[in-house]
Amino acid sequence: MKRNIKKVVTTVVAAVLTAGLMAGCGGGGASGGSSDSGTNITIFNSKMEIQSQLEEKAAEYSEEKGVGVEVYYSSDTVAAHLATRYSSNEPYTLSMVDAKDIYSLAEEHAVDLTGEEWVANTTQAISIGDKVYGFPVCIEARGIIYNADAIEKVTGEAFDPKSIKTTEDFQAIIDKLIAGGMAAPTGVMKEDWSLAAHFLAEVYEQHDDPDAFIAGIQDGSIKLIDDEKFNALMDTFDVLKDNNYAKDAAISAEREITEQKLAEGEIAFMYGGNWDWAVINAYDYSENMGMMPVPNDSGDGTNEKLVGGGSKYFFIDSSDKTTPEQVQAAKDFLNWLANDEEGQAFLVNDCALVPAYSNNELPVADPLGKSVKEYADADALVANYNYLPDDHYSVCGASMQKYLAGEIDRAGLADEITKYWSTAQVGAH
Amino acid sequence: MNKNTLSYKVKQFLMFAGPAAVLFCAVVIIPFVYGIYLTFTSWDGISKTKPLVGGANYAAAFADTDYWHALGRTAIYSIFAVILINIIAFFLAYLVTSGVKGQNFFRAGFFIPNLIGGIVLGYVWKFVFNRAFVAVASAISRGNASSLLATSGGAMFCLILVAVWQYAGYMMLIYVAGFMSVSDALKEAALIDGCTPAQAMWNVTIPLMRASFVQCIFLSITRCFVVYDVNLSLTNGEPYGSSVMAAMHVYRQAFTYKNYGLGQAEALILFVICAVVGITQVYIGKKGEVAA
Repeated sequence: MKRNIKKVVTTVVAAVLTAGLMAGCGGGGASGGSSDSGTNITIFNSKMEIQSQLEEKAAEYSEEKGVGVEVYYSSDTVAAHLATRYSSNEPYTLSMVDAKDIYSLAEEHAVDLTGEEWVANTTQAISIGDKVYGFPVCIEARGIIYNADAIEKVTGEAFDPKSIKTTEDFQAIIDKLIAGGMAAPTGVMKEDWSLAAHFLAEVYEQHDDPDAFIAGIQDGSIKLIDDEKFNALMDTFDVLKDNNYAKDAAISAEREITEQKLAEGEIAFMYGGNWDWAVINAYDYSENMGMMPVPNDSGDGTNEKLVGGGSKYFFIDSSDKTTPEQVQAAKDFLNWLANDEEGQAFLVNDCALVPAYSNNELPVADPLGKSVKEYADADALVANYNYLPDDHYSVCGASMQKYLAGEIDRAGLADEITKYWSTAQVGAH
Repeated sequence: MNKNTLSYKVKQFLMFAGPAAVLFCAVVIIPFVYGIYLTFTSWDGISKTKPLVGGANYAAAFADTDYWHALGRTAIYSIFAVILINIIAFFLAYLVTSGVKGQNFFRAGFFIPNLIGGIVLGYVWKFVFNRAFVAVASAISRGNASSLLATSGGAMFCLILVAVWQYAGYMMLIYVAGFMSVSDALKEAALIDGCTPAQAMWNVTIPLMRASFVQCIFLSITRCFVVYDVNLSLTNGEPYGSSVMAAMHVYRQAFTYKNYGLGQAEALILFVICAVVGITQVYIGKKGEVAA
């Protein structure tokens, strides 16, 4: 008995000491460590391909404006990374997140940016209620990436992407390529985010009212397998799938290899987005590449539009860990990005992004970005649907992979997606 | 000084075990208890409020069929991997204690896979499965062979193979220690009494090595049950989510799908299963242990 009491006492002592230790940790968690020369801000970057450019620019900016700017990057899931920063009471002053994160985070954690100068110059800012919270970093869009040089070399005639509007047109050019000796003219990325978050999402996005469409699937009033849009897009997907260079092993096709083949003209078409340029430009790419809408037969004009919009959003932390001076410095930084000549040049020339601001008229550097800018300027972008549940891409992505591998047919795919929606809920908006 | 007073004992404890106890509490006990608390909330991982929802997360965990599929998969993976790891490790240990030439070199060689981190190892093997094997198979069959990683059965096979490759060397070391701890006199006596070498191995050496078996099986079971790193870098759950192990499902549930409470509840269930399996196995193993 006595032994037991001692045991308890020692445990309690240990626990008390531990608590002391914890309290010690909790006290000193302020971020940044302010230097003597004014304000310091931290930036979280979730766009890996611009990390080194951003770091360099931040150093320059710090020197010029006298505001310390530190840039951080994490390859972790954005929400997971921010969660750890918030739990350790060290939020970033400025965080770059995906659109859906703005909807889930902003009301609790973000500063209202309604009165900012840049708001008037963009159509892509994210507002919740009547408050603007998200600063769009760039515009990204999805469609079919083509290699015009490769096509013209095989067919011997000029390639006009605008001439390919229907699935039949698409099949025709592919047949022509095959006849000309290109054995398999397409590539399909097997990644779940490409299949589900990008391609399948177009099925929702190309409906006039995606909310109503999804609600219809959920309550059973819309049968996905009978839906015109679903079938139109899947018809085109079938063309991509059937002419895939990796048709026999579609699930082990590696993204880098596919993009290399596209860049070097071994294949002519791949579904993707302008971010793929970051991969393509690592190879010996052809000059005449670009993006075109996904051809389809639904006859509603979506075959003349890319799908996309603002991508990656900055928000400013509103917690008491961020001082009013820091908030001001962060706002200044955003204005500099959107309005200052140097900031505009940084986005477009150094980072090769498509600007989301109408007053940024610098020519876009890369060919895919050029196509996106062209469609964006012509107001020919179908808007992103940013409210898909977080597990949509992996659950429906697995179904799309099964379809790609030929494990299930279209009815099976429609069943699995319908089943997914029977329990899933779209994000609040 | 009276060595029997409470204060003396407390001092003694704090002096020797204090730092370790404090650290253990800070990084294991407290997060564990806090984790249990989180299973009763619907926290998304980042919002300021952690609304209490009672047992809803546990109900959801039991209704989450993907989770139970992942657990079933983990069990199958663990059974195959544990058996293979231990059989191979045992034979490797036998080989490198039997006096073959250069046995120290072999010991080091077999142990090396264990020194490579799981993530790196996954990428290395991914390359082997996706490129090297495919190239060899294509050359042999003169066709377009597809990668093992592209089929669900193949992906599981790859995971098991890599686990065996990774852990067999580590377990080998424990078995080597087991072999060395069995006195030569006993083996010699058995041989003199008329045992064949195989009988001596089965009836003398192996029973005396029981502790090594208990340890190795325990280590391999617990490691296989919570596998994550190789799973992530080698298959990332693909194809079609058919190689998602329990730990990966838990991670996705908590961080990617932002159901922190549910993820935590599923992690706790995984922990309980792991603990029950591990403790049962150690209990059964220890019960029949022979004192040498």
